[in-house]
Amino acid sequence: MDLDPGQKDVTMTNKSECSFDSPAQYHLVLFVAGDGLNSSIARQNLASLCENELAGRCRVNIVDVLEDFSAAAKNNILVTPTLLVCKPEPVVTIIGNLSDREKVRAALNLKEVKP
Amino acid sequence: MNPENFGAPARSPEIQSISKAPTAIRGLDVILKGGFPLGRTTIISGTAGTGKTVMAMEFLLRGALEGHAGLFISFEERAEDVRANASAMGMNPAVLEEQSKLKIIHAEVPADAVRTGDFDTRGLLAMIEGHANLMGAKRIVLDAVDFLMSIFEDPGRERAEISILLNRLRDLAMTTIFTVKAEPGGRKIYPFLDFMADCVLFLDQRVDEQVRTRRLNVLKYRGSDFLSNEHPYSLTPEGLVLLPIPSVLPGESSFKKRVSSGNDELDRIMGGGYFMGSCILLTGPSGIGKTSLACTFAQSAYNRGEKVLYVDFEVCLETLVGAMQSIGLDLNPALDSDSRLRVLTGMPESAGAQEHLIRIIDEMTRFSPQHLVVDAISACRRMGSGKTAFDLLLHLITECRAKGITCFFTNQIRNQEHLIQVSGLGISSMVDTIIALEYFLEDQRMNRRLMVIKSRGSDHSKDFYRLDLSDTGVSLSRDTGRGDWTLTPDKRT
Repeated sequence: MDLDPGQKDVTMTNKSECSFDSPAQYHLVLFVAGDGLNSSIARQNLASLCENELAGRCRVNIVDVLEDFSAAAKNNILVTPTLLVCKPEPVVTIIGNLSDREKVRAALNLKEVKP
Repeated sequence: MNPENFGAPARSPEIQSISKAPTAIRGLDVILKGGFPLGRTTIISGTAGTGKTVMAMEFLLRGALEGHAGLFISFEERAEDVRANASAMGMNPAVLEEQSKLKIIHAEVPADAVRTGDFDTRGLLAMIEGHANLMGAKRIVLDAVDFLMSIFEDPGRERAEISILLNRLRDLAMTTIFTVKAEPGGRKIYPFLDFMADCVLFLDQRVDEQVRTRRLNVLKYRGSDFLSNEHPYSLTPEGLVLLPIPSVLPGESSFKKRVSSGNDELDRIMGGGYFMGSCILLTGPSGIGKTSLACTFAQSAYNRGEKVLYVDFEVCLETLVGAMQSIGLDLNPALDSDSRLRVLTGMPESAGAQEHLIRIIDEMTRFSPQHLVVDAISACRRMGSGKTAFDLLLHLITECRAKGITCFFTNQIRNQEHLIQVSGLGISSMVDTIIALEYFLEDQRMNRRLMVIKSRGSDHSKDFYRLDLSDTGVSLSRDTGRGDWTLTPDKRT
């Protein structure tokens, strides 16, 4: 979904990798930069999150900006890793390698799970 | 060592300057002696609203018009806003974007972003490199770098990330421009940035006696010479404009050709008339006849087919025409044709000195006059600080000297002591001819008289001459009763 240059900038349509017709409850897009430390940690953390708390209800896209640099521009990505929570709305931007689990959960509006 | 060269004057070797990227911004390449450092980093810093983004964008746009592709990364403003602001300044980025000579990217971290761990700018770098390669761009602007750095809450981290960015751009031989906000008063938020860059510009704006003045300073330019003073600049519909005073003083030219003052007696007094291309200053109190003499000169010039640009800071056109009609001088035929006489009027307070100067110089370029009249230079002190009149005069004289244009300036003074001063600054060395007018009391009546104080390169009479204004124009005579000189009204052609 390409951003039309004439289109008025509205927060939600800003993030063009997001698609709103996905059946899953959560649509997450993770922007990483290759195999750097932060990117690897983020991938692992995200995988863990999806397997456990979001099992069966999330759709994940991983975009490597080293390979697809125009996706970064289209989505106004500045730092990596960046996780875009496209769905449910409103779009939430999470930056960092997702190590702070509590914050990630809070951002996703998940109730705290006691281990 | 060759003995034959021993007595010859030493010639300073040409300083091997670094390669530069011309900016094509009016006046800037003169100040920077060529342009920004090629393949290196330049910082444009300044407080809000000083035009940092305008300058950076203009650099890319003008470069793009010459075929140099450029990348504009905005950390603060959205791409549409960047585009709209550039359009408002008379630049058209959209066309260049379509031709892939320009790309505007907005990279941001939203204010409500959640921080969940460490992150870095490798993605930004990948994006920059990717687009630069795609477009073949060697010029890049990072606008509002302070915004980028504020994302990292640790100062050590800020420096590290910027270093990585800068070094990578250097490796890629990108001519990089960073714009950075400074605190009012010039205090730097990120002082270390200046050390990392090769060239640092500082844009300053202040309000001086109710008039806003903008000034540009080159704080540093590694490996190159530059004009080191503060340079006034303006943001115009055609972009940024600077008019640096060249480092060479206007030299004394040798004048050859004479032009009539429009009055035969005055020509005789002057030893033949004024010199073409010289600078004439006419001083005197209000109402004494300076404008009359200025217009007498102008009319005689345009009647010979020479073009005159008349800049009036005192009255509007109708008033000028009316006042001259009372001495039998009709400017209307020349004004109607517009090819011999052009009049620029305007209140000095209406703009800063820099804007007035640009307007005059642009008109001179368009009209190509042989002669320039400014009536009166003294009104320029209302353009801001007292020194403004002096600077304006200096600029105009320099410009006219370079082009061989005669300048005729009137100066309204109150006190006889200030004959040869403008706003308290001496200008006698800059002008070639000074004619003073004054009132004197005789037989309980106020009369006028004229004296040529100085006229470089010409033998002039050192006496006082009586000046009369009548409906047939200006006339000069030696003191009545002496009998040597009779009243001779100037001939109308």
